[in-house]
Amino acid sequence: MAEESVTFTLPDLGEGLVEATVLEWQVGVGDTVGRNDPLVEVETTKSAVVIPSPKAGRIAELHAREEEVVPVGAPLVTFVVTVSDDAPQAGIVGKVPAEERPTRRVRLKPPAD
Amino acid sequence: MSENPADGVAIRCADLIPSSPADAVPVLLLHGFGTSFDMNWRAAGWTRALEAEGLRVLGPDLRGHGDSDKPADSGFYLPEHFVGDLTAALDRLGVERVDAVGYSMGSRLAWELALTHPERVRRVALCGFGPADAFEGVDLSDPGSGDTPFDSVFRNVAGLPGNDPAALAACARGQASRPFRAHPPLTCPVLVAAGSEDEVAAGAQELAALCGGTFVEVPGRGHANAVSSRILRQAVVEFLTS
Repeated sequence: MAEESVTFTLPDLGEGLVEATVLEWQVGVGDTVGRNDPLVEVETTKSAVVIPSPKAGRIAELHAREEEVVPVGAPLVTFVVTVSDDAPQAGIVGKVPAEERPTRRVRLKPPAD
Repeated sequence: MSENPADGVAIRCADLIPSSPADAVPVLLLHGFGTSFDMNWRAAGWTRALEAEGLRVLGPDLRGHGDSDKPADSGFYLPEHFVGDLTAALDRLGVERVDAVGYSMGSRLAWELALTHPERVRRVALCGFGPADAFEGVDLSDPGSGDTPFDSVFRNVAGLPGNDPAALAACARGQASRPFRAHPPLTCPVLVAAGSEDEVAAGAQELAALCGGTFVEVPGRGHANAVSSRILRQAVVEFLTS
């Protein structure tokens, strides 16, 4: 099993809104979250919403403080996610035999402390 | 869609059955003025929180809102019309009894449902709501034109996609024609919760005391942003599952 880090940006919340204010993080750095678990509570000029986690993983970094205004598309949170070695990989047809499985762990970005 | 037998107005009601249902009373979520079930509750994290408890969620779009019919005459928006919509929806879904959770105008309607159909409501959670007349000082011929808290709410919601400002104005006039009265108080278990900065919910604590219920204050939050607060969700979930 390999790990990689993935950064999630503030999604388009609709209605032509270009930014949102972070009200309260529902997670902290180091927490393990499941997909669809509450991630962060934000408020726009139209409504207050809880954004669910798009991934299961460990929280590596929060990119905004509470009460900070974040533009749509700006980094919100970085996850470390586990990537199954059985997942389909580009250029490989079928499964790699177990004894040939690479032991090297891939980390695309050092964890941010 | 279920139809009110009295006037033929049809409303949409979501019925969310959890993957591991608890043997519990379903929860009826009643949204606030100018929003919808999806916007008020689903987007604010409530359906996930209740699903995690194994609770079945019933989520109507109130008349004049969301995907429900939107008559433009204020004579269609008296409290008993909303209550008739709700009992018709519960009948269609085969649900005898619910816990009713409201936000703002939805709390007023939860109160009305519990008062007029006590056999159908086990517990009531009134969020973002107080006994003060929300329409005091509002020019009802042109809601949104003044500077009361309700005018500000009206301006905020009138332009949301899917909303019909004429229907919302009619809804405001219908509701205003029957000011809320806290007497007689509810006799079922009651939770009242509001943001500490919520002007619309002035007097919420006194309303809780009047019903012998519990009051929960959400620190630092106002009328627009208490609804998504974790403190509020947790307080209501504890009240419903205790």
